[in-house]
Amino acid sequence: MTMATGPASWRVGVDVGGTFTDLVVASDELGVRVFKVPSVPADPAAGVLAALERAASGLGMVLEEFLRSCALLVHGSTVATNTVLELKGARVGLLTTAGFRDSLEIRRGRRSNPWHHREPSPLPLVPRYLRQPVRGRIDREGNEVEPLHAADVESAARLFTEEGVNSVAICFMNSYLEGAHERAAAAALGKHWTGRWISVSSDIAPLMGEYERTSTTVVNAYVAPGTVGYLQTLDRRLRDLGFAHSILLIQNNGGAVSVEQVADRPVTLLLSGPAAGVGALEYYRRAIGSGDLISMEIGGTSCDVIVMSDGTVPVTDDLTIGDHHLSIPSVEVHTVGAGGGTLAGVDGAGMLFVGPRGAGARPGPAAYGLGGREPTVTDAQLVLGRLRPGPYADGSVSLDPDLAAEAITKSVAEPLGVDLDAAAAGIVRLLEQHLLHAVQRLSIERGLDPRRFVLVAAGGAGPMHGAAIGRLLGCRRVYVPRVAGAFCALGMLHSNVRHDYVQTWAGHLEAASVEHLDVAYLGLEERARRALAAAGFAPGARLEREVDLRYLGQQWDVRVRLDGPSKPDPERMRAVFELEYDRLFGHHQPGGIVEITKLRVVGIGTLPALRPRDAMRAAAPAQPIERRSVYLDAARGRVLLGVYRGGDLRPGHRLSGPLLVEEDTTTMLVGAVDVLEVDDASNFVIELLAEA
Amino acid sequence: MILDGVTLALVQNRLDNISQQMGWVMTRTARSPIFSHAHDFSCFIADARGEIVSQADGIPIHTGGGGFAVRALLEAFRGDIAEGDAFVLNDPYVGGGNHLPDWVIARPVFVDGEIVAFTCNRAHQSDIGGGAAGTYNPEAFEIFQEGIRLPPLRLVARGTTREDLWQLLLVNTRTPHFLDGDLRAMLGSTRIGAEQIGRLCGQLGRDTALAYFAGILDHADRRFQEALRGLPSGIYRGEAWFDNDCFTAMDIPILVALSVSADHLTVDFTGTAPQIRGFKNSSLANTYSSVYTALSSFFDPSIPRNSGTFRNVTIVAPEGSLVNPRPPAPMTMCTVFPACQIIDAIWQALGQADPERSCAGWGNSSFPICSGVKTSGETFVMYHWAGASGGGAVRGRDGFPQQGGVNTLCGLVIPNIEAFEQLYPVRIARQELRCDGGGPGMYRGGTGVSYEVDVHRPVQFSFRGEGSSKFPARGVAGGGCGATGEITIRTSDGDLFVAPPYGIRHVSPPRLTMVSSGGGGWGNPLERDPALVVRDVRDGVVSADAARDTYGVVLQRDGWRVDLPATEARRRTLRGGHVCPDPSAVGESQS
Repeated sequence: MTMATGPASWRVGVDVGGTFTDLVVASDELGVRVFKVPSVPADPAAGVLAALERAASGLGMVLEEFLRSCALLVHGSTVATNTVLELKGARVGLLTTAGFRDSLEIRRGRRSNPWHHREPSPLPLVPRYLRQPVRGRIDREGNEVEPLHAADVESAARLFTEEGVNSVAICFMNSYLEGAHERAAAAALGKHWTGRWISVSSDIAPLMGEYERTSTTVVNAYVAPGTVGYLQTLDRRLRDLGFAHSILLIQNNGGAVSVEQVADRPVTLLLSGPAAGVGALEYYRRAIGSGDLISMEIGGTSCDVIVMSDGTVPVTDDLTIGDHHLSIPSVEVHTVGAGGGTLAGVDGAGMLFVGPRGAGARPGPAAYGLGGREPTVTDAQLVLGRLRPGPYADGSVSLDPDLAAEAITKSVAEPLGVDLDAAAAGIVRLLEQHLLHAVQRLSIERGLDPRRFVLVAAGGAGPMHGAAIGRLLGCRRVYVPRVAGAFCALGMLHSNVRHDYVQTWAGHLEAASVEHLDVAYLGLEERARRALAAAGFAPGARLEREVDLRYLGQQWDVRVRLDGPSKPDPERMRAVFELEYDRLFGHHQPGGIVEITKLRVVGIGTLPALRPRDAMRAAAPAQPIERRSVYLDAARGRVLLGVYRGGDLRPGHRLSGPLLVEEDTTTMLVGAVDVLEVDDASNFVIELLAEA
Repeated sequence: MILDGVTLALVQNRLDNISQQMGWVMTRTARSPIFSHAHDFSCFIADARGEIVSQADGIPIHTGGGGFAVRALLEAFRGDIAEGDAFVLNDPYVGGGNHLPDWVIARPVFVDGEIVAFTCNRAHQSDIGGGAAGTYNPEAFEIFQEGIRLPPLRLVARGTTREDLWQLLLVNTRTPHFLDGDLRAMLGSTRIGAEQIGRLCGQLGRDTALAYFAGILDHADRRFQEALRGLPSGIYRGEAWFDNDCFTAMDIPILVALSVSADHLTVDFTGTAPQIRGFKNSSLANTYSSVYTALSSFFDPSIPRNSGTFRNVTIVAPEGSLVNPRPPAPMTMCTVFPACQIIDAIWQALGQADPERSCAGWGNSSFPICSGVKTSGETFVMYHWAGASGGGAVRGRDGFPQQGGVNTLCGLVIPNIEAFEQLYPVRIARQELRCDGGGPGMYRGGTGVSYEVDVHRPVQFSFRGEGSSKFPARGVAGGGCGATGEITIRTSDGDLFVAPPYGIRHVSPPRLTMVSSGGGGWGNPLERDPALVVRDVRDGVVSADAARDTYGVVLQRDGWRVDLPATEARRRTLRGGHVCPDPSAVGESQS
């Protein structure tokens, strides 16, 4: 595969969401173009092909021609995620160490909210009778203390065949230290069971903690047949149509990977959509000129927050999907149920609430006229004049302000005894408080001061709240991408290819032999190098060594990055660790015993950056397309606001708020004392000035 | 001042966020793993009179009890509290504490020279001296054997830490490095909270802010009364039992009578046993917290949990009883036992008022502790959390198979077996669901587990818990009781003995075998969906005998399908006869 983007070639990002499929085409020549088509949940591949056809015809081409000159096609797909959320996965069998077949069901006794104890925990993805015990034991040091009983595997294989199991997960005790029993069991299983899908925990998630490792392996087995099948079919169809490469997928770690390389671990695709936000931040940080960014991507039902500090987005080993706990390297994304479709009302004792319930795509906001009677945030924005009434997204929905006003009057204004504007403004303020707290959580928990960050407001609904949240956070600038509504699809075009490899290590830092550490790192690097070479990054790959360290007896690891491929130097490791510990916890323990827990290698194949030609600069002052009565805030009330068409705003334009900008995929509100500027990359910068 | 429902929501939400932020700061800065890992602390905000206005962060069994601490320090220092002060206390008798290991740091927040609030952090310390390492002394019969007692003390005076007092605290713990760091973390988190409250008052204006603090309490009161109106007026009774006083086998009742009227609830513990010799007495603060936990977990979880919520709840706890003992009764165990018993008794009473929402009893756990010395010479202390019990059922779900205690409502997360094996000289052989452990019901109780572990070193066992109590977890609405549990120990010398519920034993390297108790069932087992019974039989958590005799479900010859006609006939017979024991009768016979 060649990564160069020639003059007649472009990159395509396709993000399949629940309602819409977003497609972004970008090239140096063309700049960035966005296309949106309805998703086809029953046949996601058809939705992708429809989006590609639409883009091709938008560029005046037939599909084959378009695909032939496509250098890179990156796909973010919710197929794996939906398989888990909708419980539509494979019939899975599990081989476990005898005595421990129930860790998947016990779930370590974890509940997401103790006060909601009446809600059932999710049923285990493998029922107990298909969780088959196998005798054999590896001890805490990775030594065999009881040999594997192959006969147990055999009888389980017979049961799996009888029961129509089509995917098997294998997770044995302490296999993160020594995977020999798991490999032997996989081999024995292959002789007696004819299925194709075997997921082995020591390959997929070689980390301590049998519950999370089992859960990860089981989810992998659960999504594998459907997800991999879908991706292989799509890959083949596109090749038949003339696309010369493999499609790339976005993984939980924010990096891209080919279909072939993800086929044995589709569990790494569960966060595929939101994780692409990292690529978008990578892209915009150049234009913004800062590596300290907080993105807030708000859609209809939820808001995803990502914090990039000093150019790096933290990757953790924890991921929770549909209340399943997984250990798999994943970008840290904090999601809250707050978006345009979030429902509002008044409780029985006279207090306003917003969320956590949402109206979904159907019936959606009351203003859609599809039967929704409860008011949503979108209804409030419409009533306040911030959203234009009428059709959106090529007429697939239409907003009726009378229906919105009726719902807010009945459910909020009357019970609170306030007027319609006050009720609608209250809904927006309370939602914005929830959003603020979501951002604060991620930043404060990591010991970061949000005031030095630039807030990136994205998603269809993000730019409406960006300036307000930025002000509450104390940020000085808010950045609004012109294609805010296709943030993740754009991010996919800028996601580097990435592979994470990890090896558990037990021992004190002081006692570690430099040679042994180096041998282990070299082994991990070899795997990373091979994977990157297979993806077309023979030279030009970047390998990073990381190590997880902690003080003796501490429960939390601190991950630090080591410099270059030089031999690992324990003294240097300690120094870097203490520095990071200080930053996170405000102190460190001079002379404290430090343990190594994991060695990691991150392999990155860097895509060349797109350098879009400069957009046409502003030639004349921008004129509003209309002046509309808009409720601004409590102090100012309703104001006649200029409404601008996004396309009329060019690099060089600088306008004082308050004003509204309508773009294809979003609407942006600029506050009373804010200043809007269009930067050289043709995106929007809102400067938040101090209130007079 | 007329309050509006929008600002009310904004202020409540902001206060909740401030108490959560205090928790994040605590988790990030505290030293001992009990905070970062087990989250055994709570951050809360009280108003100037010691009424809690927000407690969004923390574990259920700390709910609402913190008000006692603030009121105790107000009593002790009335008129002598200055800006920049911070206070520490733990004593349940004179300091408003719940038990000695939980220390409270309380910091007054001043605006325009007047106290508007206290930001507080209540946290379980790693060690506070006393007769046993690690804060739990199962042989205590006086509070003096449980650790250092702190009445309300001024730890920081006008911004300056009292160094002499600080040193006094540090010399009274076996882990001064933890205490030193953790106290600093607690002080830091209350300072962050105080700054934020100050900022909020600055934005709203002091008087408006205070009016909204009061409004938040009024709102919670209205929400709770709304819930209360859903219950028919009357008197409802509940009971829970201990079968020992930590030293001797004896039956010890906790009795409660709930008087429900349209706008008021009285929770009366009259008839509860006198205070006992062992450390399972409950401080008044813990009794209140347990009542609040029971009430909050029974009703809609969206009802706020602050002092206003319980304004119209009167608690009668006779002095000298197990739920309000006189000094010097010991009580360190109280946040678990009798907290679980108090919650259970109140759930039982509430369940009579509203059977649809009734909650079956959760199995009680034992958490024995092994301590010893590794071959490396390093000491270790291991809690056997992996032997925890099963939870009770409610309408709509079966009981959780294994859980950390009804006092935390699953807030306590059980560590992985692999983590235990790395940290301690043990090999664990088994942690598996029991068969027929869960109380039968339309919704089945959680099964509990069988847990077996080989400990490779000689150890001191500290036993503490109700996991082998003869009183099983209660079934409700026609559901049956959970199975009881047992702990046995076989030492490398060949000794085999049944562990006592409380006490200390020194043994050569042992194999510990625990069978944990199961949770109670909800509803008549004859009405359980036969498909679910088949699933349970296939899964080996319900025996074929129990399916036939208790659930009235007859399986086809293949064992995997229901024989519907035979099942219907069987269920008719069982409904007519008395094959399924009446669970309430079981309860009576044991009391």
